[in-house]
Amino acid sequence: MRKLITVALALVLVGVLGTAALAAPPADTLAEVKKKGVLVAGVKDSLPPFGYIDEKTRSIVGYDIDFINAIAKKLGVKVELKPVTSASRMPQLQEGNIDIIAATMTKNPERAKQVDFSHTYFFTGQKFITKKGTVRTLKDLAGKKIGTAKGSTSEQNVKKSIPTATVLSFDDYPQAFLALQQGKVAAVTTDEAILAGILAKAPNKAQFEIPNLQISDEPYGLGMRKGDKNFVDFVNKTILQMEKSGEAKKIFEKWFGPNTQFHLKRNFKITADK
Amino acid sequence: MLTYQFDWSVVTSGKYFEWLVSGCKVTLQISVVGIVLAFIVGLLIAVMRMSNFRPARWFALAYLEFFRNTPLLVQIFFWYFGSYKILPTAVNDWLNSTNFEFAAAVIALTIYTSAFIAEDIRSGVLSIPKEQMEAARSAGFSFLRSMQYIILPQAVRITVPPLVNQFLNLAKNSSLAMTIGVMELTYQARQVESYTFKGFEAFTAATVVYLVLSSSITALVHLYDKRVLNPNRAV
Repeated sequence: MRKLITVALALVLVGVLGTAALAAPPADTLAEVKKKGVLVAGVKDSLPPFGYIDEKTRSIVGYDIDFINAIAKKLGVKVELKPVTSASRMPQLQEGNIDIIAATMTKNPERAKQVDFSHTYFFTGQKFITKKGTVRTLKDLAGKKIGTAKGSTSEQNVKKSIPTATVLSFDDYPQAFLALQQGKVAAVTTDEAILAGILAKAPNKAQFEIPNLQISDEPYGLGMRKGDKNFVDFVNKTILQMEKSGEAKKIFEKWFGPNTQFHLKRNFKITADK
Repeated sequence: MLTYQFDWSVVTSGKYFEWLVSGCKVTLQISVVGIVLAFIVGLLIAVMRMSNFRPARWFALAYLEFFRNTPLLVQIFFWYFGSYKILPTAVNDWLNSTNFEFAAAVIALTIYTSAFIAEDIRSGVLSIPKEQMEAARSAGFSFLRSMQYIILPQAVRITVPPLVNQFLNLAKNSSLAMTIGVMELTYQARQVESYTFKGFEAFTAATVVYLVLSSSITALVHLYDKRVLNPNRAV
């Protein structure tokens, strides 16, 4: 009976989603991508410096995009970038609309049940952005409201480290930051690299700071369809080679290094996961 | 078929189930408070719109045109973010220390829906023969009392079906409150999706709750209509 209900509901949902959902995703993406000659990647398009639209060229550029370009070059195929959000990237992959996710996706066990992750290609930690001088320790945030963006894992980490805080998820980071400016939240929390991007763009950045309070490790992985072994192996091999040749380090320096507004130190190396 | 494994246990027990339940509660709170307030405000605006006192009529007209003709999402942002620029610092500080997200969402939904309700009630009033108002006035009732005792009780009865529409719209529009961080049902369904990627299960559960909520509103109003307002109405 339960199975019957599940099947019935699945049919209804498929019907609602229309024909797009009926096109089954390829089982072997590597062969498929080579055949059609194009790698379709889901990327962020408003999150500097990972993925954002360059004002001059009007095309999407960033750290994530450089990794996709390197993988496509190795494959000898063209790249097609599709903007995704944190909430839409997984369904897009599962429905076969994109071949790979390169969209600041944190690796966690729950997600790993649904996708296969590459080795960690970027490593950061969750921190806070606050009004200057208001927060020294996590205790200063107890019982306060803290803003973040929807579809991220930031909320869970806050609840663990500051149980008394209330987390408000806004549609995106600009709104969360506006809420901080208006005093509606005491802090905005997410990965440090993203916070650095928000702070760099803020009009009155002197009033804000990122205190040295890290509440979680955030390893980013490229996401691929579950069980797509050939493709996962190929991507892993490629990014390990990029580390060896120094290309991965070069990409990091290009987007986060001392010549950028972020001044982040590279505190990780791309290695094979256990 | 999709290569998608359904796992209904995600939404029927445990942590994620609790998230959805707490989301249901918030959606229910917004809907109930919103419907009651929107009905009262809608009645007031309808009466103002039809009164002979010009400033009241003009105010009601401006209210109707403004709030019917701008998107609800913009109005929610206006009450939540825009109010900051208008209000004094002390008021802002106080608001920020309260659950202002919930209040801003209820205010926006109430005002938006009340504009539609006011027009529905006005159309109900217009369907009452104007001789009734004239008779009431010549019998010594003031405009407000004629409305209160003679016209509105009849008008609201006629207006029940369109009112149900507005109530349902409000209940479903409450999902927009998630844009300002109100943890209602759709917000929680999306949270469950981003933690587990079980989006089909989470949104199916949310859909079922919205269906039950909407059907309950319809059933309750129809029951009240049948038992109290219009015992003699056919269907």
